Amino acid sequence: MAESSQRRHGADLARGLAVALGALAARIDPSRYPNTLPALPPRSRGVIALFEENCTVCMECARECPDWCIYIDSHRETVPATVAGGRQRHRNVLDRFAIDFSLCMYCGICIEVCPFDALFWSPEFEYGEYDVADLTHEKDRLRAWMWTVPAPAAHEPLV
Amino acid sequence: MDAAALAGMGGRASQAYGLWCVDVPAASWKFSVEDARDSYGLSYLDWLCGVDEEAGGFSILAHVLNPDTMAHLLLRTRVTREDPRLTSIAAVHHGAAWHERETAEMYGVTFDGHPSPGPLLLPDCFEGHPLRKDFVLVSRVVKAWPGAKGPGENDATVVPRRRTLRPAGVPQPGEWGPEDGGG
Repeated sequence: MAESSQRRHGADLARGLAVALGALAARIDPSRYPNTLPALPPRSRGVIALFEENCTVCMECARECPDWCIYIDSHRETVPATVAGGRQRHRNVLDRFAIDFSLCMYCGICIEVCPFDALFWSPEFEYGEYDVADLTHEKDRLRAWMWTVPAPAAHEPLV
Repeated sequence: MDAAALAGMGGRASQAYGLWCVDVPAASWKFSVEDARDSYGLSYLDWLCGVDEEAGGFSILAHVLNPDTMAHLLLRTRVTREDPRLTSIAAVHHGAAWHERETAEMYGVTFDGHPSPGPLLLPDCFEGHPLRKDFVLVSRVVKAWPGAKGPGENDATVVPRRRTLRPAGVPQPGEWGPEDGGG
């Protein structure tokens, strides 16, 4: 019984090695993904970029997110009056904006709901990590993705 | 396929978003599915599932289509919340067996005459019916909602608001879990 199971293991191992060696010897297609980047359409949902300058900390995205994967911290700053006798004003300052891409399901609701166009789709997708915690992109990293956001589609010509 | 012919199947037909839907009484559910297959050529069962209508019980829907003409429609019936019970249509469409097992475990609807009842996706020891609207998701209780903070607030300064901000599906504090007073 034990002997036959050992023999079977040996046969499986040999078959597995044959597959691996065959793959090693096979000719690599240079037009396939790891060798050539795919031509993705501009509306691809790769990663979400944050245009921090546009964010007013309204919290809409964090509240609408069905996965609860957007974390925002902010504080209130007082802006002194600019003219004599003027009123001082309050302003919300963004301290933390993070998206946990290990939870994100790429629904795009945050981008749709943002009233100030601070969130954008980027087609970049190569951000796999060895540690799941590293999939939480903080605002610096989300801001850096902005550079990969494609330009919006051109307007249709005026008639 | 016209409304009069659909209504002839013993139900009430309505159209929404270009899709015909026939409401049939629960008692004639199996007959209606059979009739749709035999008399109208709707021989392909696309899917079967349930909807929790809360006080109104549960809707059970089946999407059937005619593979030749691609005509398709929804068959819908309603079972009560107190006794959610329906005749299995696995004998009419064999493919319905898995859909019915899933509907049974997700909504707690019993399908009479099912050839192999039992959970399909959930483990044997699972308690409750996850797609019922009163089912509380544990993950919605163990984690704080990130949207509870207001603009200009952070973990240190967040204040409880008069209007409690709670997203859908999240129970009131103390309503569920170890703090519910052992109800």
